Amino acid sequence: MSATVQATNKQSPEPKPMKLEDILQSDVWNVDEEPHIVVDYSKCEKCPTKPCIYLCPAGCYTLAGNRVVFSYEGCVECGTCRVICPMDAITWNYPKSGHGIMYRFT
Amino acid sequence: MSSTSIPSKFDVAVVGAGPAGSATAYLLAKKGFKVLLVERGRGLGDKQLFGGRVYAQPLREVWPELDKEAPIQRWVTRERVSLVSGDKALTLEFKGGERKSFTALLPQLVAWMQRKAEQAGAIFATEATVDEIMFKDGKAVGIRSGNDVVYADVTVDAEGVNRLLLERAGIVPRLSPDHIALGVKEVLRTGSSQLEAAFGIGSDEGVAWVVVGDVTRGVPGGGFIYTNKDTVSIGVVIHLKHAINAIESGQLNNHVYELVEGFRLHPYFRNLWHGATISEYGGHLTIEGGLSFAPKRLVYPGLLVVGDAAGLLLSTGINYRGVDYAVYSGKLAAEAIEYAASHGGLTYDNLLEYERKVKDSFMYRDLVRHRAVEMLMNDPTMFSKLAEVFIGLFSQMFEQDYSVPTPYEAFTGALTEHNMSLNKLMSYMITAVRGL
Repeated sequence: MSATVQATNKQSPEPKPMKLEDILQSDVWNVDEEPHIVVDYSKCEKCPTKPCIYLCPAGCYTLAGNRVVFSYEGCVECGTCRVICPMDAITWNYPKSGHGIMYRFT
Repeated sequence: MSSTSIPSKFDVAVVGAGPAGSATAYLLAKKGFKVLLVERGRGLGDKQLFGGRVYAQPLREVWPELDKEAPIQRWVTRERVSLVSGDKALTLEFKGGERKSFTALLPQLVAWMQRKAEQAGAIFATEATVDEIMFKDGKAVGIRSGNDVVYADVTVDAEGVNRLLLERAGIVPRLSPDHIALGVKEVLRTGSSQLEAAFGIGSDEGVAWVVVGDVTRGVPGGGFIYTNKDTVSIGVVIHLKHAINAIESGQLNNHVYELVEGFRLHPYFRNLWHGATISEYGGHLTIEGGLSFAPKRLVYPGLLVVGDAAGLLLSTGINYRGVDYAVYSGKLAAEAIEYAASHGGLTYDNLLEYERKVKDSFMYRDLVRHRAVEMLMNDPTMFSKLAEVFIGLFSQMFEQDYSVPTPYEAFTGALTEHNMSLNKLMSYMITAVRGL
């Protein structure tokens, strides 16, 4: 009986979610040297909820201990962070001169 | 936007070469207007992302050659709607056959629209991020990108949902989470024969699939599936206001990408794309409640607002119409500019024709008629509760050991199981039916 169960499990293992960084490997960017988004970390320190950590689809906002760390390179330019930031800590622009995400199939 | 290659004075400057801007520029250039179409991307549709389906008829009014020429992935012949609760799901399918809507990869479709505008004679400036709409004595007089300045009699703002330029001009307030949702999307490559076998469709068929319930962890929103030729577009949309609340209350402590992954791996859906690779991932904001999102006016002296920037997107929870609304508003803007030019000039009074045309259009009428959907979307418990009760009902009806319940027993059993009173369910249903 247990052998049968094992065999079944072997055939269809429970699929696991991919890591976001691996999913993002499918995307293409032409990365600018200058960041198009600037975050005022002094405001993040006072932010109780930090929704950017959860809602930036590209995972540009991460936690180092309790501090927010932002990196612009993998940004998909959706604008979510600017809309949800409760501290008004984000200066948001589109990248210049054709830089940034380059979608092909979406 | 190099000042040496581009003249500095145009009849019309269009900001943003998405569906709305490209349609405006195409129609005006065809009529002989001197048009500049400005795009921050590289002119390959490379900043474009949407769910996956376009309604064809409004586009055919602009490009009658659409069916033959446009990069259409599949005509939608089947509509599916699923309610999901845990691992259980309830699905309704409608098989149509008319060529009403098609799936597309938006970068390809928009690149086609951009080429149409260029072929019609519009000057297409790419890799140019517009920093501001310039005003003089309260009238828009042109646009600025870095140190480059271009003057135009009329500026058409087609910048999309993220309205940086209208905000900078003081025309709209800062984007608030109240009327905004985030869509996160994966494009899964399966191959066409596997796709057709898995979805049970022919090579000339396509599926549009709306999913309501557990996929967004109780945050109002939903999931979508669209079949392309050899890929499947899947994604989730979440209402940002409720997502913030859910994070604050601790209800949502997953990263938003995990919602898409949860959907991709959901036991009811995952075999549809078994073994597929993710060929692209992205996110985009969308509008919930277009009329509340719309600027006070769609016409200002020297300025017209079209597409998403104008709040012209319909989202009912079942039907999503953005690309066709954008294109159609571009068509109305082009017609209004033509009207103004032939009625004494591009004055504010003459340009108000655009606002009249929008208010007379199917778009505005539908946005008004579907307004109740906002109420629906604003009750976070309703979505998950409704899905749970209906799944519960079917579970009672079909998942049996010995005794077969009467329909009444199944119904009341489902209500009791999910702490729902008949009164509350009725009021939800009435809101839902009115809203949808």
